[in-house]
Amino acid sequence: MKAFREIFAMQFVALVRSKALALLLAAASAWMLLVPRLVADDGTADGAHQVFVRYSLGGVFALLAACLGAAAAGSISSDRALRRLQLTLVRPVRHSVVALGRIAALTAAGALVMSVAAGIALLRTDPSRPCYGVLSPVMESPREEAERMYEVYMADPHTPENVKRAKKSAVVKLLTQKAVDHYQTVSTNETARWTFPAVPAGSSESVAVRLRFTTLFNTREDVVGDFSFGDMRASVSNITQAVVTIPLKGGPAPDGASELVFANRGENALMLRPRRDITLLCREKGDVFAYGLLLAVVVDVCVLAAIVSLSMFLGAGLGKSVAVFAVMAVLFMTSVSSTIVEQYPYELETNRKDQIGLVLTRFMEQATSPVGSFNPVDALAEDRRVSAGELVRAVALDLLALPLLLSLLAGLVMSRKTMD
Amino acid sequence: MQEKREVIIELKGVEKTFRDFWLRPTVKAVDGLDLSVVKGEVFGLLGPNGSGKSTTIKMVLGLLEPSAGCISLFGLPPRSIAARAKIGYLPELSYLHPFLTARETLRYYAGLCSLDRRTAAERTRQLLEMVGLSDVADRAVGGFSKGMARRVALASALVGKPELLVLDEPTSGLDPVSTNEVKTLVKTLSKGGMTVLMTSHLLGDAEDVCDRVAILNHGKSVAEGRIGEIGTSLEEFFLAKVGEGRSFEVAPFLK
Repeated sequence: MKAFREIFAMQFVALVRSKALALLLAAASAWMLLVPRLVADDGTADGAHQVFVRYSLGGVFALLAACLGAAAAGSISSDRALRRLQLTLVRPVRHSVVALGRIAALTAAGALVMSVAAGIALLRTDPSRPCYGVLSPVMESPREEAERMYEVYMADPHTPENVKRAKKSAVVKLLTQKAVDHYQTVSTNETARWTFPAVPAGSSESVAVRLRFTTLFNTREDVVGDFSFGDMRASVSNITQAVVTIPLKGGPAPDGASELVFANRGENALMLRPRRDITLLCREKGDVFAYGLLLAVVVDVCVLAAIVSLSMFLGAGLGKSVAVFAVMAVLFMTSVSSTIVEQYPYELETNRKDQIGLVLTRFMEQATSPVGSFNPVDALAEDRRVSAGELVRAVALDLLALPLLLSLLAGLVMSRKTMD
Repeated sequence: MQEKREVIIELKGVEKTFRDFWLRPTVKAVDGLDLSVVKGEVFGLLGPNGSGKSTTIKMVLGLLEPSAGCISLFGLPPRSIAARAKIGYLPELSYLHPFLTARETLRYYAGLCSLDRRTAAERTRQLLEMVGLSDVADRAVGGFSKGMARRVALASALVGKPELLVLDEPTSGLDPVSTNEVKTLVKTLSKGGMTVLMTSHLLGDAEDVCDRVAILNHGKSVAEGRIGEIGTSLEEFFLAKVGEGRSFEVAPFLK
């Protein structure tokens, strides 16, 4: 523990005295102050809030991920190149502790910068703005839906021949990807029903429906109709906003799992992806923007710890420039892989070269999904707070398990790596 | 008498072959080296450039894994925490963290040796005084001269009160006065029971300090003996073992 403290302190002091931390703080503060001037919103108060939160805190997180990732990748590798590392490794300290202490120091620096950015965000927004927990419809898993749809899909005359010749596992995988984005159409004067889990007891008086029409091309749809959820009712008529929040009124939420019913009274059919586009927002006592921001920052710091750990591991085994390049490549792939997979989901319908690219991209998305699948800042921008499960997962996986595992591996690599 | 003294370092048939990325052997730096250093002895590892001295030292410190043979420190593997707790190491160049002050540097290494705060502070004060850096203790070592940095490195090697001190070219970069101080220090530490393994290109220094030397050439020990038993100066002995007949061919250049 003492060795850990010493290594942590040494790395943190180095960050402070090299002015790296001061530069990060200055850059993050400047970004937080400049974003409202640089990015145009849709002119509404909600739109301005969304744009500010998403781009300001998101930008600071991206800055920290890149800078701390590079610093972690260079931490051990440059110490090894400058031969400082051997002076530490000959001491009675576990090599994994050397990596872990540095990971902790860089994560602490990230936490400090994120906290300052969050402080500025609080000054520029309304801290008491409502924030919500989110419930998604209870549905069969995309895999179950794919298994169910397999025979239907293969019997469909429109299914491409190369897909019909493919192995069942490959087609089921493809259908699983399709199922995530499975669209449901609610025609004019038709009714749709989605079952939701029980609303938390503390928020049964404050429930809202959220419709999110963020499609690939950010088009917006008009929606006119009536919602009911137990005794709760609400009407909606919206043709402007991509994200619509409709408060339900008229009584407490039903006990236990219950159906949300939507009757389409508009002139157009409504198309939405139930797994993605419709949620119930539940507001408990104390659910305000400030609290949501705190949770989002905690999750972001956890994700930073995971990025720093991976970078430290790469830096333990590779030279500085190769390690930094590898980290940047991983970060880039993590940030774009989900978009690529979303836009080009059907690898069996493409040529061989694209199939290989998609397989690699999908592997990258899967491999990094524990870290990159959830963006708490984007959620916060839409007034969604981090759930208890998401928080526990981030702390357990990104802040504890990954750094411990990767520092152990980094220690092993350090022991094996030739000290020239 | 020597047989009864505790063996601190023991190398048996140690080999080290460096390999390239494809694991093809590139150079055999150490070739079947047998060596033992006993408690309280100052042992000099001498040899021309590329003879395998630094590789041997790195294997002794656990920084490199031997390709064959075995090494024990205090009867333990060199990479064990218990063995590393008894070692102090001064590398050939002073690789210090430039943003730390001299005092912080010593406290950092004291912390890595698990010394408690009070002991670390006291040891730091004593060592800074010993190497004559008390006045600049709170200056960042990045701004130190080579000689001053060397003193900090020497002090940090001693901060854990090691039983074995490994010195790689300990007088490198020091002025004559400081060189003399280091030599006196090594002799004093040895008298106090500390075992010292050192390399040096300066044969005079080795002759002044070492009880016993081994001369390496092409990774092999070509001679080993006690300084007093060589019968000639160390330089003559050294040249006879590894330098005979070697000189630059200058004539073609002068034509």
